[in-house]
Parts: sequence; structure tokens; C-alpha cells
Amino acid sequence: MVYTHKSPALLVIGIVMLAWGWLNQSGTADGLQAWLHPGAYKEQKQAVEKHQAAEKAAADKAVAEGKPAPEAKALKPGKFDDVKRGQANFATIFGGLFTAIGLLILLMKPKEGHLDYYISIFPGMAFILSIAFVVRWGLDPMFANWGKAALPTLGWDFAKILNLNYVVLGIVIGMVVVNVFRIPGWAANGVRTARFFLKTGVVLLGTLYSAAELAQLGALSVVMIGIFVLGSVWLVLLAGPRMGASNSMTGVLSSGVGVCGVSAAVAASPVVNAKAVDIAFTLGTILLWGVLCMFIFPTIGHLLGMGPVQFGAWAGTGILNSAQVAGAALAFDPHGIQTLKVAEIFNITRVLFLPIIVVWLAAWYVKREAGAQKVDLSQVLIAKFPVFVLGFLGLFILSTLGVFAPAGHYQGKYFSSEQVKEDKLLKEKDLAALQAALPKVTAPADNKALQDLIAARKVSTRDQDVLLRGVAKMEGLDKGAKDALGNAHKAAWHDSKIIKAYRDWIAWLFAFGLTGLGMQITVASIKQAGGKPLIIGSVVGLIKAVGSLIVVLLFVREFI
Amino acid sequence: MAAARSMSTGLAPRTLLLAHHGTSGAEQAAALALSLAVPGHTRIVHLYVVPDFWEGMQGDDWLNNAWTRDAFGRHVEGQLEADAREQISSVAERCAGQGIECTPLLRYGKPAECLLAAARECGAELVVIGPPRPKGTLGLRSRMDLDQLARGLAVPFMVATAR
Repeated sequence: MVYTHKSPALLVIGIVMLAWGWLNQSGTADGLQAWLHPGAYKEQKQAVEKHQAAEKAAADKAVAEGKPAPEAKALKPGKFDDVKRGQANFATIFGGLFTAIGLLILLMKPKEGHLDYYISIFPGMAFILSIAFVVRWGLDPMFANWGKAALPTLGWDFAKILNLNYVVLGIVIGMVVVNVFRIPGWAANGVRTARFFLKTGVVLLGTLYSAAELAQLGALSVVMIGIFVLGSVWLVLLAGPRMGASNSMTGVLSSGVGVCGVSAAVAASPVVNAKAVDIAFTLGTILLWGVLCMFIFPTIGHLLGMGPVQFGAWAGTGILNSAQVAGAALAFDPHGIQTLKVAEIFNITRVLFLPIIVVWLAAWYVKREAGAQKVDLSQVLIAKFPVFVLGFLGLFILSTLGVFAPAGHYQGKYFSSEQVKEDKLLKEKDLAALQAALPKVTAPADNKALQDLIAARKVSTRDQDVLLRGVAKMEGLDKGAKDALGNAHKAAWHDSKIIKAYRDWIAWLFAFGLTGLGMQITVASIKQAGGKPLIIGSVVGLIKAVGSLIVVLLFVREFI
Repeated sequence: MAAARSMSTGLAPRTLLLAHHGTSGAEQAAALALSLAVPGHTRIVHLYVVPDFWEGMQGDDWLNNAWTRDAFGRHVEGQLEADAREQISSVAERCAGQGIECTPLLRYGKPAECLLAAARECGAELVVIGPPRPKGTLGLRSRMDLDQLARGLAVPFMVATAR
């Protein structure tokens, strides 16, 4: 079979991307960019005016003193320049690649084989990437501006509360494409690569954790996932037979509702010999819940004033389907990666539970179903093991060894006195604000961390920094104290350029992957939600979502 | 000769397309088709459609490895095939019991689109389908688009009455 469609689509996408790159490079798109990024544009304009005034003053001074005019200094690029440069580079690199392969597709005569297959995925990848570009560079800032503009009238930022950011918009556009227009034939093969890029994003996330973070988040996730996964699997196994559901239906539903949604149902279906109708009802129910939760969870998170750790832990535990966990985490916190980091640890823990649950279900099914085929447990454990988690751990180890970041990046090197310059130390007014806040900080460890900060005028250890970030989130703390804590953190904490670049790439990989996943969520599938799986799944899903929210709000501190 | 055959077969079609996939409505359609068919004259073409919503049923599974996805794909295909075989042999047996020739036709896609294509392919003179499932009745949501059929079919079609 020949997979490559002889279509000019890839070439057209490539040329449009190249054109966008050129428009940004040449400054032709400055008007549009200024409209999309008014804050950055204003800053840039002010910086240019200031620079020109300084240059003029220096030149006037030189003339007055009879000296030759000083050499003009180049203006340091501002945020507005960064936006344009980033878009120009990205669009030019990918536009060039797609144009070249687009030409190849038109000129070559495709033959069956590996080359044909690999080339056939590019048009679909370009299709998703072009949507991701439009959403991230166009719609995301546009909605953010509209949200701010409507704030005085509405009294709330609708774009923020309704999470109208690049992640949600990408998924929604993906869903619209597949359900309203259908995915074009030339793009079908490439759209399936979304899952590969999501996994790559998770693997790359491994570079962003410190050992302490991973240990603490891992322990928290094992406890929460252990309770809620095992609890909901057990609850479904209990409720299913009592409600007259068949063993196979109960089995597939318990894995889907309990562990990680569609992925778990897919893994468990053959083991419990699920019937076609069981699978349709269950997957429909999980998709329905997943999509609803992805939109509702971030809004609730914002309304409750949750922070990254709390929201990541809640989404990672309470959302039925693992794909929507990443979506909800990025929808909640689209321009940082902190929430995604927390949520993905929970996702990974869930998927590590999967082989165990599948074995449990296999044993449960064989016990209850006469004539059921016994399953080779060791084969199940090996086959269901998520290999990509090894990649995540590998990158985490390399990162901890300092391969991607300066040596000691995670060990607190930047907290030492040599690294914090005098002008970065806390000022008198900061110290006064912190002194005033001291009585409000009642936890002994937090209080000591604050006292140490006041004494040293800087954060001295990573652990102290972690504690003080938690203090900064305390309710009732005045703005001066919060700003002082923020300044102390900023002065001590540095990211390496490589890590910053990874962070940006991870956001792109997830934006790409989630837009592609949106293209695989069909209304026809969601409409299959029904029967006993809908009732049992909804009850257990609700218990899990509300229960995990209560636990998170009561027991999970904002900063790990 | 022709007049004699016309007398014995009446308005009975030579090729009757029956849409049947095992629901109670489809059973009504099968009963109607068998009552209209004349042994030795009518051939029933049994159309069994596997709805295309199955395409989106494993779409966002991104955590599993290829082995697990393939195992799931094989399992689903096996289940759908077993369901199809069961229904096809059930209709075939009932036709054989009345001495009526039956040809199964398995299609994947949207029910109405598949039926329109099948009617053209087999040269059906009459199409028989079951009544729409009553609201609130449990079942997969993949319904026959009656409007599309009414506009697209070039031959008469009958909808069996609900019990």
C-alpha cells in the first residue's frame, strides 16, 4: 500500500509558513504583532525612545565638549523583538522543511516502502503544526487581550476563567476539524503522530525535576493514586455486579474509570474479553467525562485559587482520562510548566499502576467467569509496562547529573553568597515588610526560614526557598511581604538556557500533541456513552473528582 | 410465461435489500422482508453495517505501547466480526428455512451511506429497514438517516412497524 497522497497541501503550508517567517523578519507584520502584543510593543517603544534620547544626549554632550560623537550602542532586544524573532525562526525552519518535502511529494513517484510511509506523515504533522501556530501565536494573545479589555465591564477576565488559551483552543479546533470538516486524506497518517509527540513531551519533562521534587511529588502521587485508583477500581467491581452489569463490562469499566481512562480500557479489554458494546459504552463514557473535566477542572481551579501543585495533584487524580490530564494542566497554567510537571508525575504513577490493575482484573475475571482463559501474568506485566517512562527517568538522571544545566543547578549553587550580587539582596523596605509578616507565619519551619531570610537578606538554601515559596502563597500576607519573598526567590533562582529551551519545546510538543489528540475525539464516540457504564462511571467519576478535590484542599500544601 | 410468473409473484421484488444488525427493530425488518419475499423469485441481500464511530474508539489512547494497541485492535475486530457472523448466519438460516436465497453484504461506514451504495450495487428493487429505536431504549447510537434515504434511494423502501 502506498501511503503518500500526491497533494500540494504540504507545499502550500510550507510556503505560507515561510511567508510568515519573512513577514516577521522584515518587520512587515509589526502592525499585527503590536495589536496582538500591546504590552510588549509599548515596552519596546519606550525602550527605543529612551535609547534614542540617551544617544542624543551623549552626542550633544560630545559636541559641547568638542569631542567626537560616541559610537552608537545597539539596543538590547526586548520582549517584542523576542516574539517576532521566535516566530520568524520557527516558521522559517518548519516552512523550509515542509516546502522541501512538499516539492518532493509532488515530484516523486511514491512506491511502497518505509520512505513512502515516513514521507506520508509530514503533511499531517504540518497540518497540526499550522493549527498550533495560529492558535499559539494568534488566538491565544487575541483572547488574552479581549479578556483584559472586558475586565472593567464584566468584572472578571473571561479568557482566564474560561481558559481560552492555546491549549484549550487547540484541542477545540482539533475537535471541530474532525467532527465538522473531517481530517483530509493527505493529513490522516500524520495526525496519528500526536501520541508520539505527547510521549516525547513527557520524556523531555524528565529534565525539569530536581531529585527532591521528584521524590516528594512521587510519594504524594503514589499515596493519592493508590487510594483513588484502587478505591475506584474496587468501587466499580463492587457496584457492577450489583447493578446487573456483565463481568466483562464491569472489568473494562473499572480499569477505565479507575486507572487512566481510555488507555486502561484499551489495555484491559482483551483480558476481560469485553464485548463490542461494553467497549463502546465504556469508552464513550470516559471520553465524555474526560472532555467535560478538561474544561471544568481549570475553571474550578482558578475560582478556588489553587496553585500549581494543588491543581496538578487534583487533575492528575480526579480526571478519568490521562490525555485530558495534560490538557487540563496546561489549560490551567498555559505559560508556565509547573502544573504540567505535577500533573504528569501523577499521570506516570497512574500508568505504572496499570499493569498491576490489569493483572488484578484478569484474576478477578477468571475467578468469576467459567471457561475464561487464564492470562500469563508475567507477560501482562512486561507487555503493559510503559517503556517511555524509562526515557523520562533517563533524562531525569542525566539532568540531575548536570548534563543539561550548570553543575549544581539543582543543588542550590545559585543560593551561595558569591552568586547573589549586592544589588539583589533584600532592601530595607523588604525587610520591614517581612518583619511585619513574621507573627502571621505560625508554622515553626516556615517562621525559621523567614527569620533566616531577614538575617541573611537572601535565600541561602534550596529547602529554604521551597518553604518561603509556600509562605508567599499564604492568605492574609500583605503585598509588600509577598513582593519581598518574590524578589528573594528571583535573586537566588536561575534557570539554565538549555532548561529554558526545553521548557519551550515541551510546551510546543504538548500543544502539538493535544491539538492532534483533539482531532481524534469524535462526537460519534462520545455519543456512545450510555447504559450501565454511564451510570456507574458517572457516580464513581464524580466521587473521585470531588473526593480528590477535598483531599487536595485539606492536605496538599501549595509548594512541595 | 411472463404473465404466469407475474401472477405467482405479484409485486414481489427480485432483489430485496434488508438492513439488519440484530436489534429488535431489525428483527421487525427481517420478518417484513421474509413476508414479502417469494421463494425461487426473490433474493434477499442482507446488509450488515459496522458503524464508523469505531474509528474514534481508540483515538486518544496515548499511554499504551504499540503491542497493547494492536492487541486491543485485534480484540475489537474479533468482537465485531463475531457479532457480524452471528447476525449474518441468523438471517441466512431464516431465509434458507423459507427457501429464499440470501446474500450477505458486510460494510463499514455510516449506515445510510452504506445502504445507498449497497442498493445501487446489488440492483435492489425494494429496501426494507427497521423502525427507529424508541427514545430511551438502550443501544449504540448509529442511526439510519431516513431523510438521506428518502432523498437518495431510486427504489421504494419500507420501514417495518414497531411492535
